[in-house]
Amino acid sequence: MKIAIITTINGQRQEIQVNGHQTLLEFLRDNLKLKGTVEGCSVGVCGSCTVLIDGKPVSSCLTLASNVEDKHVTTIEGLSQNGDFDPVQQAFLKHQAFQCGFCTTGMIMAVKGLLIAYPHPTEEQARDYLSGNLCRCGTYKEVLAAVKQLSQK
Amino acid sequence: MTLVGINVEMVGARAKVSGAVNYIADLEFPGQVYAKALRSPYPYAKLVRIDTSKALALAGVRAVVTRDDLAELNPHFGTGVEDQPVVVIDKARYVGDIIAAVAADSREIADEAVALIEVEYEELPAVTEIFEAAKPGAPLIQEDHVDKIAGGNVHGVYRAASGNIEQGFKESDEVIENTYILPPVQHGHIEPHAVTAFWEPSGKLVVHTPCQTPSPLQEQLAKVFKLPLNRVRVIVPPVGGGYGGKNHARVEPIVALLARKARRPVQWILTRDEVFLTGRRFGALIKIKTGFKHDGRLWARKVEAWYDMGAYALSGPANTKNACIIAGGPYNIPHRDYTTYAVYTNLPPAGPYRGVGASHVCWAYESEMDEIARRVGMDPLELRLKNLLKEGDLFITGEPMISVGISECVRQAAKAVGWRDNEEQAAISAGPFVRGKGLAVAIKSTSTPSTSAASVRLNADGSAILLTSSAEIGQGAHTSLAQIVGDVLGLPLDRVSVTFPDTDVTPYDKSTSSSRTTFHMGRAAQIAAGQIRDQLLQAGAKTLEAHVEDLELKEMRLQVRGVPEKNLTIPQLFRAIYGEPSGSLFGNYTLRTEGGVDSKTGKGKGSSFWFYSAAGAEVEVDVETGKLRMLKVATAVDVGKAIHPRQCDLQNEGSALAGLGSALFEEMCFDNGQPINGSFLDYLLPSMQDHPIEFESLLVETPHPDGPFGAKGMGEAGLPPMAAAIGNAVANALDGARVRDLPLKPDKIIAAIQATKKGSLK
Repeated sequence: MKIAIITTINGQRQEIQVNGHQTLLEFLRDNLKLKGTVEGCSVGVCGSCTVLIDGKPVSSCLTLASNVEDKHVTTIEGLSQNGDFDPVQQAFLKHQAFQCGFCTTGMIMAVKGLLIAYPHPTEEQARDYLSGNLCRCGTYKEVLAAVKQLSQK
Repeated sequence: MTLVGINVEMVGARAKVSGAVNYIADLEFPGQVYAKALRSPYPYAKLVRIDTSKALALAGVRAVVTRDDLAELNPHFGTGVEDQPVVVIDKARYVGDIIAAVAADSREIADEAVALIEVEYEELPAVTEIFEAAKPGAPLIQEDHVDKIAGGNVHGVYRAASGNIEQGFKESDEVIENTYILPPVQHGHIEPHAVTAFWEPSGKLVVHTPCQTPSPLQEQLAKVFKLPLNRVRVIVPPVGGGYGGKNHARVEPIVALLARKARRPVQWILTRDEVFLTGRRFGALIKIKTGFKHDGRLWARKVEAWYDMGAYALSGPANTKNACIIAGGPYNIPHRDYTTYAVYTNLPPAGPYRGVGASHVCWAYESEMDEIARRVGMDPLELRLKNLLKEGDLFITGEPMISVGISECVRQAAKAVGWRDNEEQAAISAGPFVRGKGLAVAIKSTSTPSTSAASVRLNADGSAILLTSSAEIGQGAHTSLAQIVGDVLGLPLDRVSVTFPDTDVTPYDKSTSSSRTTFHMGRAAQIAAGQIRDQLLQAGAKTLEAHVEDLELKEMRLQVRGVPEKNLTIPQLFRAIYGEPSGSLFGNYTLRTEGGVDSKTGKGKGSSFWFYSAAGAEVEVDVETGKLRMLKVATAVDVGKAIHPRQCDLQNEGSALAGLGSALFEEMCFDNGQPINGSFLDYLLPSMQDHPIEFESLLVETPHPDGPFGAKGMGEAGLPPMAAAIGNAVANALDGARVRDLPLKPDKIIAAIQATKKGSLK
């Protein structure tokens, strides 16, 4: 069954048709072809599918697409403005806060959410907030360094 | 050198931070359909009857494959031992073995179709414990692939020895003996296994897969489908983590078979619970007995280690064989007798996992080193330094060891964790919290002998491309390879590109595993690029009327050393060669390393280079709850020469963190073969909360004569010593209380504390 809702995705307000059982992750990937958001575990544990809804990071694999009515969804594709990287992306580049890169887009969105919630997080706050984003390459020290740099701005 | 040794921006970095990397799951092909498998619910069962008629009748189902579809194929594949059927033929050998697979228009229809397949099984008695499986008389899991002399489900027995072990124990002042256990653990690559396969109308098979071994996979598929290699094309885009979990064929054969029957591209992205059924690290049981002198000299060591391969061997026999020669560690010991056993069980197939084989025996021999240090009253660092291999020492294989930086590794790791900063290392810090420090060292071989071929092409504008089948799996291989080629040809980094593996285009490579890429592919690329450099020098020498040895390639020009105004640009050199500034120059090189050891004696050349590494850890133990907190972890690896120091540091961090996870909490649990924590909800991977408060990566550079610019492999070297360093730190904190079966869960810590207390009351 298709449901029509109005939502804003990466700044663009639009009416979308979603299936009742469709997750936001499926909708973003399959319907909108926004492939920067990826699936790692499908049970909301690994964080690689993290997107922002009204500025808060959520696991898009556990969110029904029909639940984003009248909300603002931001994916990794919505971060860079006019071809310029977002400061979080720049900080990740500077500190090489990634290896294979599969968890990276979710991690960047989670850092974005962290800095919205706590513009100047302590390391403890950052570790706690980001503990839902798993990186098996283990590149946590560099993510924390990126957060530290961003929190000093 | 202007690129080697510099932290240039990682190749592909910008795509990674912008979500523009095309992983396999992001690919879509016209007409593509979706696969799903029916898996065995039993650890061991005869497949009596299978009826797919209802599934086939479902609208949207394009193909169903079962054992009835194998007639024209070589139905078994493997990595050496061909013991795994494309789909179960007579018996399901583990919970999750693939009974049938469906391709349908949507994932939902595929799910529904799988549920409509009717199967009748006849359950067989399963063996899931290593020791039970190895016993003569145990139910046989792979009748055709067991060692009849060893008995039971032992597939292979590997031995290495030197001196006279009985005499060695007699001559020892003291002898200790213990048993160590490691459970299976998950690779945990966040990108699941995923494959898209299709057949071109000409009958050519095309497979897109995040495989770490494109060339061997091409060979495996060619064999299964009875095709020449040029009719199997394997394409590997950036891989979302591998760690050994994506080596060799996994589900590629069955996806290819589905695609042939469905006559469409078939995509299969495994669910996480399926990933848990597709690969894992070996579980192991290790018995170790060591004789030593009162002055701390190791005198005799006997090791027996059983490696649980699961239902299918994958590379288990080779990995178990490689583990044998390093079973007693990187030490000089006059009398040694090591045996390792590769054993089948009714568990999911195990395969290489970062630090393969080495992590298991290291957990045993490095825990024992601290036990010995306590017995002889020596500092554990001093005890290690006294016994460690030095440059030129003969190893158990009989080969002289070169480029041996291990003493420096352990010295640096010790310094980083403040070893002996204070004499009272196990001082109670506050309330129930006790701190301790521990060290461990490790040695590991790389795949030997092995082959890597590189092809470099220089364009007339002074840009180059390296054709390589080395996969980019996050380790930064494509960056370090570009740095190497760039330096040989005097090109900036943005003038060198590196292809992703595509077996239609890229030459043979054994694997992107065993931390072998920088050493093997790096060297092959260096030599291939050198051939182009030589052609440019020859052409330039004529035009510039100079000797070849007086010329250098620098900043995209060939110039006379010391006379920079006498120079030629690369287009001018092409004109000198071809009469016009266009065309291509080629360099091609196949590197083949020599070596290998005898299975029965362990003699030979064990490795084209050896990994030497050390770890240091400082932990805090809550003696009331048994919970551990990681205060500081240091990983020191002898990298030979760091081509890209930061990427080396990141590899060390990844190794350390995976080692930490396997030390503290990672464990795949089974109940008579049934997985009971097969998802990320139940199986923990280290998160940012688990990351040590301080982590330090240390790069020791002992150049290797055969590596590019002296470099050795290093990616996985930091993992093997980590668990033992943590275990030793815990024992240090707890006055010798020691846990010998991983992971170091709180209940085991408490039990060890209580056992030590009881012991001290005696």
